Amino acid sequence: MAKKREVDISVDFAGRRLANPVFTASGTCGYGDELADFMDVNRLGGFITKSITLQPRKGNPAPRIVETDAGMLNAIGLANVGLERFVAEKLPVIARMSVPVFVNVAGERIDDYVAVVERLASEKAIAGFELNISCPNVAKGGISFGRDPEQVKEITSAVRKAAGDRILSVKLAPAVTDISVIARAAVEAGANALSLINTFTAMVIDIETRRPVLANRTGGLSGPAVKPIAVYLVNKVYNEVAKKAGIPILGLGGIRTASDAIEFLIAGASAVAVGTASFIQPDSAVRIIDGIEAYCVRHNVARLADLVGSLA
Amino acid sequence: MVNNKSKGVFTATVTSNRRIRECFWTIDLEFTGAGAAAFAEFQPGQFVQVDVSHLGLPAEDLIAPDLRDASRRNILLRRPFSFADVTAGPDRTTAELLYCVLGPASVRLTTLSRGDSLSFLGPLGNGFSVPPGKRLALLVVGGMGAPPIRCLAKLLKAEYPGTNVIAFIGAKTAQALPFEGQFEEMPERVDSFVPALARLGIPSAVATDDGSAGYRGFVTERLAQWLDEQRNWSAEGTVIYACGPEPMLAATAKLAAQRNIDCQVSMERRMACGIGVCQSCAVECRVEGSNETVYKLCCQDGPVFDSRTVVFDPPIQVVEEVGLARAIKEGLASPTVDEARILEALEHGEEERS
Repeated sequence: MAKKREVDISVDFAGRRLANPVFTASGTCGYGDELADFMDVNRLGGFITKSITLQPRKGNPAPRIVETDAGMLNAIGLANVGLERFVAEKLPVIARMSVPVFVNVAGERIDDYVAVVERLASEKAIAGFELNISCPNVAKGGISFGRDPEQVKEITSAVRKAAGDRILSVKLAPAVTDISVIARAAVEAGANALSLINTFTAMVIDIETRRPVLANRTGGLSGPAVKPIAVYLVNKVYNEVAKKAGIPILGLGGIRTASDAIEFLIAGASAVAVGTASFIQPDSAVRIIDGIEAYCVRHNVARLADLVGSLA
Repeated sequence: MVNNKSKGVFTATVTSNRRIRECFWTIDLEFTGAGAAAFAEFQPGQFVQVDVSHLGLPAEDLIAPDLRDASRRNILLRRPFSFADVTAGPDRTTAELLYCVLGPASVRLTTLSRGDSLSFLGPLGNGFSVPPGKRLALLVVGGMGAPPIRCLAKLLKAEYPGTNVIAFIGAKTAQALPFEGQFEEMPERVDSFVPALARLGIPSAVATDDGSAGYRGFVTERLAQWLDEQRNWSAEGTVIYACGPEPMLAATAKLAAQRNIDCQVSMERRMACGIGVCQSCAVECRVEGSNETVYKLCCQDGPVFDSRTVVFDPPIQVVEEVGLARAIKEGLASPTVDEARILEALEHGEEERS
């Protein structure tokens, strides 16, 4: 699998050297090696697990997804096995992976987040955490934390203490008055990376029954439809917060091709994550890695870092 | 239930694409190389995810007027289909994709012609299994539930010659039967009416909601009637295989439970990935020895489930008839059903989606 690299597409991500800037996005690639039938997971720059909560969660009733023009809505409801089974069943799989693994953490109360991170922060297999304070599909917690800068500060600093020396990225909701205010709150409270964006709360209506299609009524919009907004928000947070603070951005939202990923890098993301595209083409992430390398060769970009934030 | 591990993304070549009758079309496909090997292992009831995102729309006058509006929507996700027939050869495997033109993805499939390529993710999920000691297999089809049952019928005839196979086929009307043939004014009896099954030596009975073909009423009523007529019949030696709309599967499961017959149902859910990572296709299932339920994934734990484990969506008419409390008690509705949602739907006099 290993190819001769003509250019250096490795990146520094909050002090950790990654072989390339491409992650899998939380909730689109399972807990570890679920996509191993389709791609060499160890070729990724980083892997982000689906959201883990302290207690197991059943998730929402079906229908949990609906397709839209150039996108999809999901309302899974953070279905996951819970911390205990994650440690017993999934951690051993993660320990065998050579790629840096980040655990996405969600919860209803700050204590829940802290408990999960405390338990996992001493695990050698885990490079860091992604704090999900922007899930639109749960009744409690989720996005309600991510809209208020004071709450963002509180939860980030509590988790920061529990995370020890691990990387802590805070995943931001896009539909807020000023995303830079939220980003700044997270950085001031100790986040050493920012993931943006999460999905947009949205609705699809069945006009025959005049009911929402999703059992949860609303869901999070992802896919190509959100990409231009995500690129804009990444650029805004890069200029207004991240660049000065020296904090890397993990850009995501509708990335389907290497060109999409390169837009995010130019906008200011140090790394990118591939989500919805993996549902259609399970090896999208590795195709994007190859595409980024080809772009760098074509444009004489010697180091990928030279591309980051290079927007004219 | 059977699962094979050699799944992947494979390209198939279209060898033909034709309309069989009404809104039903069928595509013949050919897999070669690794795809031929992977799909040679395809089990009836397993499924594939087809990428149609690159296909354009047919000319507007070729689209049924009632689909012109809906078909303009773009396609992003793959679409799940179960093959109606798979034949493995030494260096190529052929498959038949039977589809009904009813939306933006299926209308695009009609544009394919001989020589075109299509990308398939598969084979996915768990197919039907044949328990030992079954002398009678009853196939229950509702409308577009036909493809996996046809695939299974062929396997049963080829590999289980000692098993008697009879099909019960239901649809709203004679026009809505997804088989080649002439069905209008067909009699009620079990006979060699459906050519695709008759060729395999499988007799069938048809039921339509409006009586335009076969028995007037639900296919499950026809099945119950037939079972009542049998002498020297053993529940133990019988297995039911069902695929169709969820209310039909729920009624089949209930009938099977009442008569102690093993029953496998092929479920359908909206899904994105088909490989267990998006977690969209939740099917509520009972936990043995407890009142609790869990969500299993249609794509990975199914799509074929033992009918005793599934908590079906309660058809609104069932709730209306017996009341929610009794529907839950009798296993017709999930104990965790959203009562407000059901009541609200009743108020609006809706029909349950099917």
